[in-house]
Amino acid sequence: METSNAAATAQPSSGNTTPLVTLNDLLWLIYLYPIRLLAIFLPRWLLYTLGRLSAPIVQFHARNRKARAAPWIAQACGVTPAEALRIAGQSLSGGIYRTLDELLLLRPSSTKMLHCTGVDGNEHLEEAIARGKGVILLVGHFCANRVAVRYLAAQGRPALSVHNQSPANRAGGRFGKEFLQPLAVQLQERANPDQVFIQDPGCVLKIMRRLRSGGLVIVQVDGRGGKKVIDHPFLGVPWRVASGIYEIVRVTDCAVVPMLALGRSSGFRIRFDPMLPVDRAASRETFVSANLPNFLSVVEKQIVEHPQEWRLWNHF
Amino acid sequence: MEPLLKDPGSPSRETMGRIWRVFVESLNLNLTGEDLSYEAKLDESVGLDSVAVLDFVTALEKEFRITFEPEMLNIDVVRDLKELAAYVDQQVARRQNIPDGQQ
Repeated sequence: METSNAAATAQPSSGNTTPLVTLNDLLWLIYLYPIRLLAIFLPRWLLYTLGRLSAPIVQFHARNRKARAAPWIAQACGVTPAEALRIAGQSLSGGIYRTLDELLLLRPSSTKMLHCTGVDGNEHLEEAIARGKGVILLVGHFCANRVAVRYLAAQGRPALSVHNQSPANRAGGRFGKEFLQPLAVQLQERANPDQVFIQDPGCVLKIMRRLRSGGLVIVQVDGRGGKKVIDHPFLGVPWRVASGIYEIVRVTDCAVVPMLALGRSSGFRIRFDPMLPVDRAASRETFVSANLPNFLSVVEKQIVEHPQEWRLWNHF
Repeated sequence: MEPLLKDPGSPSRETMGRIWRVFVESLNLNLTGEDLSYEAKLDESVGLDSVAVLDFVTALEKEFRITFEPEMLNIDVVRDLKELAAYVDQQVARRQNIPDGQQ
């Protein structure tokens, strides 16, 4: 597929020398220490106010990434450049509230703070569970995923989350990568212990175990990279998609249900779409290519419908 | 670490041999000139491709006509050839004790 200049600029480039400390590291340091400690007792509205106050610094710091993302957003979503820049900013703000919500999830009483305004399409999830072979909840990198997962667990629907233990962070310095990122991952683990990292050698078996027990596994299918990848365009740009999940679907015969979570802990909605048709007749060799475009297009559609909620626009 | 299999017993050499064969075939391993243990080779394969273990487990299920119980889908079980073989023996024996039509 042809890619435009916008697409090319949206792609990660190989970095040269990484500085010891960056502004991104300092922001994370503030988040992981004073803000985290304040989050133990501050009410949510006050925490969100802090987030609002910090937004101009974060937006300024990410101005180049936003400028790079804007043509990509304009192309993928069919909006004007000005609107695309606004979406890039909203996506960044969404990320701030998402990280603050993660601190709230560390509280013992956090489930009481999750204000779900509605769950649509629950019947689709029930139908998929009734098949008895487990369900993969297919999601994109949306800001409300973690609060939605915690809410579902509190409702008796625990879902095993699959994450990358060392996600790419081009804005971080060596200090951030060595000390802050591992700490942030530890906090995420504490906030949601029901997760598995793709770096874990037992990851696939843990997923299989959950599915064979008839349980739920939540997978962000739009993540870049993995041990085994396939090049496939996504939102109009070249993308490296992890193919492992398709192998798991093939072997376990589980159901695949798209899920969309929008908002933040103070007010979020969850939507389940009908089970995705899976081409189970495809051979082992052709299974990925037969199903991958369909899986990705569902998430692409969600992103185009709610671009401000997708958090990967400014990631590269 | 405590083994997941409560009473592993002694696995048969035949089972261990068949598991080794399934391991090599399902992961398309080329062992010419190599002297790696089962555990090291499995770690290497899983390190390169995390889904490899899935291929291996499903190939074992097909070979022995058994189904791994969810709690036994554990990398520590799969990495330990003796424990894995003992579990496979146990599951095969269980299958053989179930009358046809009830499996």
